[in-house]
Amino acid sequence: MSDAMGRGEVAAADLPVAPGLGAGGDGGSGRPGRETLRLFVRNKAAVAGVVMLIGIVFMTVAGPRIYDNDPKDIVAIPLTGPGELAEARLGTDYLGRDVLAGVIGGGTTSMTVAAMAAAMVLVIGISIGALAGYYGGWLDSALMRFTEFFQVLPALLFAMVLVALFEPSMWTISFAIGVVAWPGIARITRAEFLRLRNLEFVRAARAVGATDWRIIRKVVFPNALPPLIVSATLIMGTAILFEAGLAFLGLGDPNTTSWGLMIGLNRGNFLTAWWSVTFPGLAIFFTVLSFSLIGDGLQDAYNPKLRGR
Amino acid sequence: MRITTTRDKQRSFGRLLVALLAVFALVAAACSSDDDDDAAPATTAAADSGGEAGDDMADDDHDEDDGHDHDEDDGDASGDDMADDDMADDMASAACNGGQNVGGTLIIGSTQVPRHLNGTVQSGYATAVPGTQLNASPLLYDAEYNPMPYLAHDWDVADDGLSVTLHLVEDAVFHDGMPITSADVAFSIQTVQAHHPFKTMYAPVTNVDTPDEHTAVINLSQPHPAILLAMSPGLLPIIPKHIFDDGQEMPTHPRNSEDFVGSGPFRLTEYEPGTIIRMERFDDFFIEGTPCLDEIVMEITPESTAIVLGLENGTTHLSSTLGPSANVLRLMDNPDVEVSAKGHEAIGQINWLEMNVNDPALSDKRVRQAIAYAIDRDFLSEVIDQGITFPVPTGIAAASPFHNPNVNHYDKDIDRAKALLAEAGYGPGELQLSIDYIPPAFVVQAEYVQQQLEEAGIEVELSVSPDFPTWAQRVAAGEYQMTINQVWNWGDPVIGVHRTYLCDNRVGVIWTNNTGYCNPDVDALLNAAGQEFDIDKRAELYAEFQEIVAEDMPIFFLNTPSFWQAYNPAVMNPPTNNIWGQMSPMHEVWLDE
Repeated sequence: MSDAMGRGEVAAADLPVAPGLGAGGDGGSGRPGRETLRLFVRNKAAVAGVVMLIGIVFMTVAGPRIYDNDPKDIVAIPLTGPGELAEARLGTDYLGRDVLAGVIGGGTTSMTVAAMAAAMVLVIGISIGALAGYYGGWLDSALMRFTEFFQVLPALLFAMVLVALFEPSMWTISFAIGVVAWPGIARITRAEFLRLRNLEFVRAARAVGATDWRIIRKVVFPNALPPLIVSATLIMGTAILFEAGLAFLGLGDPNTTSWGLMIGLNRGNFLTAWWSVTFPGLAIFFTVLSFSLIGDGLQDAYNPKLRGR
Repeated sequence: MRITTTRDKQRSFGRLLVALLAVFALVAAACSSDDDDDAAPATTAAADSGGEAGDDMADDDHDEDDGHDHDEDDGDASGDDMADDDMADDMASAACNGGQNVGGTLIIGSTQVPRHLNGTVQSGYATAVPGTQLNASPLLYDAEYNPMPYLAHDWDVADDGLSVTLHLVEDAVFHDGMPITSADVAFSIQTVQAHHPFKTMYAPVTNVDTPDEHTAVINLSQPHPAILLAMSPGLLPIIPKHIFDDGQEMPTHPRNSEDFVGSGPFRLTEYEPGTIIRMERFDDFFIEGTPCLDEIVMEITPESTAIVLGLENGTTHLSSTLGPSANVLRLMDNPDVEVSAKGHEAIGQINWLEMNVNDPALSDKRVRQAIAYAIDRDFLSEVIDQGITFPVPTGIAAASPFHNPNVNHYDKDIDRAKALLAEAGYGPGELQLSIDYIPPAFVVQAEYVQQQLEEAGIEVELSVSPDFPTWAQRVAAGEYQMTINQVWNWGDPVIGVHRTYLCDNRVGVIWTNNTGYCNPDVDALLNAAGQEFDIDKRAELYAEFQEIVAEDMPIFFLNTPSFWQAYNPAVMNPPTNNIWGQMSPMHEVWLDE
């Protein structure tokens, strides 16, 4: 190994890439990516999930511009049913606020929290899983015991403790969800890394002098991506449910409307005002369902066994 | 190459160690906070009355009844024409429908979780409802604040107001068969004096003489007009000296909830904290022919919705914790459920917005008055609570003889609010304040006040506490700007009102002077009123006190939430006939089944 063969000079393209779907996660420009896309599109449920998600994202992003009721304003008599008033099509809650505006405005909070939490889950989970899976040995044991420690804690209770410890706000809620939800991702990452680390193309990379960091980043990680992408999609759904659960239990950020907060605050009136709970509930349902369908679709599309079927 | 790898391994391991440590520190912090939470109730034990602000339940001081009033005389209570204004006299003969209706199980639904069942060391509704079934008190009260004989068949107040003599019934026994004597009364009063959070209640008592087994003489250092009310069922349960006088700490005494020996009409047979309290009739109860019921079962659930459904399908007989206004309105529409605002008048609970007058912004009276002008309390009661709560402009509830309705009401006036803020040096959007509260009980009030203040150009941030102890500690320590609170009058202002205004009652406990407000004139008025037996003179003193507080505005009074009771029509003599409602023995309640 000559000195000229420094770490920076091993270009990504020079490194061996696993056959099949290695580049799939990198942008889909290669043939395998297109194949994955074709398989995904063929899955009607998955496409329905994508359509649903686009609709929901559109609603939360463009909704407040089109529908200008502030979710916090009192617009009408409290607990008016849906369809009775032009200013509150989906009815009003216990304070006389517009439920439709709440569903639209709450979407922004729920999605933001979910995205931030999912990002945190991925960062923590992938880092720990990658280190444990790649290096193995006692480091693996230590990291996995650590992961198990988090895994055996009841997730929602642990998140409640974290939120209660700080003031409930969008940041602390995202943080709490991130802290409790990562063990699953860590274990999947570790499993993939364990599987891949001794495969020939990884050994080859090692043989040409690539550093561990580079191998993890450029060789192993891209090949471990497919199951991670699937999990990340599902994590979004889980995070939305977690956010809703925390808010339902009174640990939501009281200064920003969210779907879970709406359900939690209105549940006392459920017998008399079903609409104030049902519509945010449906919003959560469809959002989580869309992530779930997309996740399933991706899993099928990435599964080589289903190819060519 | 190998060497590089190892070094890299070591480096990444170092990084990992740092991360590990960070996460462990976090977990440790989380766990220690958990401990804090557990410890908190102990440190605020004296303050946590469980019920005082624990629930958004309902009550009302007005006798408005929407035609749903259930009067036990509508039924043909054995057909006799006995006057019912003095139930003690005709108790034996008229009880339980002339003795025809003895038996049955009354199921009470409640969201209130008692800490234990010994009312001598624990205030609050949660303890008092079962506590008053299990323990008797010297006196009962009717619906007009008149004392009635109970354990004391007679009582005299000395002319100088410096002593009260109780004459106890002679055949009364505890649930273990031991006689109830004046020594037990003296012991109970001493216990309340030492451990009950309402310090003012028995503060003037110097000692209790027991010249014979059935006479107790309570000696006072000063005239104390509230002393007779302080002998109500919820405030002075008579507990057995032979059980409790064993040197153990009273607030944590194991017999507060286990092997319970009481003096009341029912005895404890099952107690599952937070779930169920089962109480069976005590056959040797000292009032002949009562109790009528075989059993009272309190089913405790955190969800008022479950209670409403139970009332609707007949599996719950009686409840006062009905949850949001909409639930009360829904039950009113149900012909199979009776709903009444009567009973519980003495509680006099008031929802209010408390302001920390030590806060730099809120120390300016004009800012506090501006806040008052910005809020429309009538809209809150009439529209948002749909007439289930009642606006109240002052800290003495409307049902009290000392209520002064002629104080400044601060009817909503946004321009005036803005002008006052400008005078105090705050333009629109320049003043930021926060409101602390505990969900879900005070969500409506907090969110409504936020809305109203933002209209007046004050930015308001809501700050929720995860649980009662956290909130109570913050408020008691004065670490807040504004908070929504519910405080009870507890029958007499000496017991429930003075505590939140007196300068020297800033003692770091919730439901004392948590605003930091101090006005020597107010102190003088309250101290004078606390020793005045003449009701008219007392009323004058309290009227002036209420005017000064309205002007100084340490507290903006919102409304009287409802203690609406809903009950099955089969429940006869429901606890709507006395000022303490369910915090009074139900020995005369019977089921018409």
